Amino acid sequence: MTAGSSIPISPEIVSPSTPDEVAAALRAASDARRSVQIRGGGSKLDWARNSQPPEIVLNMRSLNRVLTHAHGDLTATVEAGVRLSDLNAALGAHGQCLPLDPPFADRATIGGLLATNDSGPLRHRYGTPRDLVIGVQIATTDGTLARAGGQVVKNVAGYDLSKLITGSFGSLAAIVSATFKLTPVPVASRTLVLNFRDSASQSRAAASVAASQLEPVAFEIQAQTPGGAGFMAMLRFASLPVVVDAQLDRARVLLATEATSTTVLEAAAEVEAWDRHSEHIWTAAGAIVRASWLPANLAVAIEELERISGAASVKFEIIGRAAVGAGLIRIDADVATQSQFIERLRASSAFGNVVIRRGSDELKSRIDVWGPHGDRLPLLAALKQAFDPHGILSQGRGPL
Amino acid sequence: MNRAFLAELRRISGDANVLDDALELLTYECDALPHLRQTPAAVVLPACTAEVQAIVQLCATEAIPFVARGHGTGLSGGALPVAGGLVIALSRMNRVLAVDIPNQRMTVQPGVTNLEMTRQVAPFGYYYAPDPSSQQVCSIGGNVAENSGGAHCLKYGFTVHHVLAVEAVMPDGAIVHLGGTLADTPGPDLLGLIVGSEGTLAVVTSITVRLLRRPEAVQTLLAAFDTIDAGGAVVSDIIAAGIIPAAVEMMDSLAIRAAEAAVHPNFPDADTVLIVELDGPATEVSALFDIVVATCQRRGATAIDVAKTDEHRARIWRGRKAAFAAMGRVSPNYYVQDGVVPRTRLPEVLNRIRQLEARSGLRIGNVFHAGDGNLHPLICYDESVPGQSDRAVEVAAEILSYCIEAGGSLTGEHGIGADKSQYMPKMFSPADLGVMLRVRAAFDPQSLCNPGKVFPTPRLCGEVPGPYRRHPAELAGVAERM
Repeated sequence: MTAGSSIPISPEIVSPSTPDEVAAALRAASDARRSVQIRGGGSKLDWARNSQPPEIVLNMRSLNRVLTHAHGDLTATVEAGVRLSDLNAALGAHGQCLPLDPPFADRATIGGLLATNDSGPLRHRYGTPRDLVIGVQIATTDGTLARAGGQVVKNVAGYDLSKLITGSFGSLAAIVSATFKLTPVPVASRTLVLNFRDSASQSRAAASVAASQLEPVAFEIQAQTPGGAGFMAMLRFASLPVVVDAQLDRARVLLATEATSTTVLEAAAEVEAWDRHSEHIWTAAGAIVRASWLPANLAVAIEELERISGAASVKFEIIGRAAVGAGLIRIDADVATQSQFIERLRASSAFGNVVIRRGSDELKSRIDVWGPHGDRLPLLAALKQAFDPHGILSQGRGPL
Repeated sequence: MNRAFLAELRRISGDANVLDDALELLTYECDALPHLRQTPAAVVLPACTAEVQAIVQLCATEAIPFVARGHGTGLSGGALPVAGGLVIALSRMNRVLAVDIPNQRMTVQPGVTNLEMTRQVAPFGYYYAPDPSSQQVCSIGGNVAENSGGAHCLKYGFTVHHVLAVEAVMPDGAIVHLGGTLADTPGPDLLGLIVGSEGTLAVVTSITVRLLRRPEAVQTLLAAFDTIDAGGAVVSDIIAAGIIPAAVEMMDSLAIRAAEAAVHPNFPDADTVLIVELDGPATEVSALFDIVVATCQRRGATAIDVAKTDEHRARIWRGRKAAFAAMGRVSPNYYVQDGVVPRTRLPEVLNRIRQLEARSGLRIGNVFHAGDGNLHPLICYDESVPGQSDRAVEVAAEILSYCIEAGGSLTGEHGIGADKSQYMPKMFSPADLGVMLRVRAAFDPQSLCNPGKVFPTPRLCGEVPGPYRRHPAELAGVAERM
C-alpha cells in the first residue's frame, strides 16, 4: 500500500516494547511506504499542521523503564515512554530530579519532551531538554539503532545527535532512550508573587531583577488584558532556607516601588500557584501561540500586543520566562481574528518564532502552524532526506 | 591547487592575505598538537563573512578541501591541514560586533579570544562563562567548533549552553543562520548540532553568546590529602550533600611539583590537592562553604588554604591552569590526554592508571576536573630514549580504553580531531558512526569541510602518529608553550 492510495479510517497501533522492535517497526513501515506518527503520552498531538491520519501510530508507552539512576554521578538513563512525573518520583528517592516542569507533566513522556523541546518556568535556571540531555539512542527508518553522546555529562566525542533530535517533532527518527544530567532537589523553596499597575512597571521590575545578583530558579511574567488579571510576576527561590529568605527579602526591597502588591507563597500554596500558572492558559478558551521576544523589550512587546488586540478588539493573555524572552500567547477571538492576530505577530519586529500551539483545524487551514524556516530550509530538507528518505514520519505535520 | 585558484583567492582577500610560501605555511602545519603535521597548499585570511563565502564557493567549485582555523590552540589536531587543501584562518575576523547588556548577550566574529569577551563586558558586571585553560589565547570560533568547557563547566555547562546563534557558511557557500536573537527557533536544534562538530559541518563566521551576571560571592579553597582516594571521597560527599560547586579540580603529586616549579602557586607538598570553588548568593556560598570545609577536615585534609583575596584565588587558579605546560619543568617531553569517566569510577580508574605507570616505566601526572570525571593524564617521556615515544602513545591509548570500559568518553573537551579518530570505534558502533556520517553528508556532500577529522579513516600520508613534539614555531624560537 502506498501513502494516499487508501488511508485507513483508524491507524494501526504498533506498541514496541524493545529498542529492536522500534527499529523493526520503522523499517517495515518505510519499506511499505506507510506513514507513521510516533506517540508518547499524547499530550501534544495537536502541536502540528492539519494532516491526514497516519497509517501507523507507533505507541512508545511500553518502553517505560528507568534504565539507570547513577545518583553519585547525577545522571539517569530512561526509555522514551517514561512519564516525566514517574521519572521524577523515582529520582526523588535519592533527592534528585530532572529539572523540567512543562505543562501536562503527569502525561508527557521523556520522548515527547525531547521531540518538542518543551519546558516550563524552571527553564530560567536549568534550560530546556536540549540543555539537559547528554546521550540518546534513536531508531531510524531504515531500521538502524544508533547512539550518540554517552553516560557522562562532559563528552565531546562525535556529533551530538541528541541536539538534532530535540525539536524535530518525530520527523527524523524515533527516540528510544535518553540520558540526562540531574540536579539535587533544593531543600527549601518559596515564591514571591508581584502585581503591577501596568506593563511599564512590570517591565522595569523585570529589568531590575535581570540586572541584580538575585538568583531565582524561575522568573515568570503574566499579563492578561483587557479586563483580565492585569500584570503579574512570579519569582521562585530554591536553596537552603536561610538563602531563600535572604533572596526573598532582597527581591521585595528591590521591587517595592514598582509592585502594587507582593505575596510570599510556600509549601502547598506555592505548588498550587505554580500548577495554576502553568495550566491556566491551556484550560481557558482561544488559540495559543508560542512566541519569543528580547527580554529587555518586554514593555515594547506587551504594547505591541495591546496595539494588535486593540485593533482587533480581542482579549489576550501572555505568560512566559521573563529573562529568556519566551512564552505563550492566548488569543480569545473568532478564527478570522485569531488568524489576523497571528499574522500581525509574525510581521511585528517585537516578536519572533511565532508557532501555533493550539488552534482549530480552520485556523490551521488559514495560517501555517510553524512559520518560515528562513535560510535553514535547504539544510532541513537535506537532513529529512538523509533520515527519512521515503517521508513516512510525521507526514504533513511539520516542522519538516 | 592551480595558479588560477590562488589568483582568485588573492582577488577575494587581497595579496597580503593569501600565503603559499613554504616558510609562511610553516605556522599553519599544525595546531597545539604538533605531532600531527601537514603542509597546506595555501592559507587565506579573510576579513569578513562575504570573503569566507566567496572562498568556500570557490573551494566547492574546484573541489578543494578546506580547514577553518582559529588561533591554533586545539589539542586534538582539529585544525590539521589537508594535503593539497586550503586553510581558512579566521584570525583577522576578530571584531566585537555588538554588546547588548540589557539583553545579556554579545555578538562577535570567530577570531575574538575567549577572555576578550569577558574583558569587554566585565565593566558592566558580566562575563562569558566557559573558561578553557587556554582562554587568554583561544578563539571563540575554535570554542564553538570544539564545544569547549573549562574548570567551571560543572555548574555552568559548556559552550553549547552559552551560544544563542551563529552565522555560518555551508560547504556549498550558502549562508545559514542557526539559533537566533530570539529564543526557540522552530525545528531541530541545528545550532546544538553544529557546536562541537569540530569544523566538519560549516565555517562559523559570527557568534552570539549569552552573558552571565557576576555572582555576588565566590569562595575558593585548596585542600591537601595524603591519598587521592581521600580527595575523591570529599568530592562524593559534596555531591551527595546536594552541592554543585562552580568548580572541583584535583592534581596529584607530580602535577603539584610541576606547577610549583613553573608558577609558584605555593601549593603544599602533598599526594593530592583538591580545589573547590563555590559561587552564587553570598548567604548560600557562606553556608555551603562551611560544609565543604568540614567535609575536607572529616576526610583528613592535611592542610586547607582558603583564598582570602582575589589575588589569592588567582594564585590558586594559576597553579591549576598552568599544570599542563608546567610538565615541561619535570620532564623533557609529555603527552596530554583527555578522557572522561563517570565521577564515581574515578578512584578505580586512577588506580589502574597508577598500575599502568608502574608497569610502563613512564611517569604519569594527573590533573582532572574531579566534579565531572574529566581526566587529563600527562604522560612523561624522553624522546631521546629509544622506544619511549611509542610507549607514551601506547599508554595514552590504554588510558582511553580504561575510560571507555568505565562507561566514559574518549574526550571531554579537547575533541576527537585527527588525534583520536581511530579510537572512535571503541566508543561507537558502525551503526552509530553511520548515522553521524549521514548528517555529515547532508551538510557536506562533497566532504570538503575539514575532512579526515572525527571519523576513523586510514592515516593520511605525512601524518606522523606520536606524542608531543615541539611546534615548528617553537623550534624557530618565535613562540613558546604556555
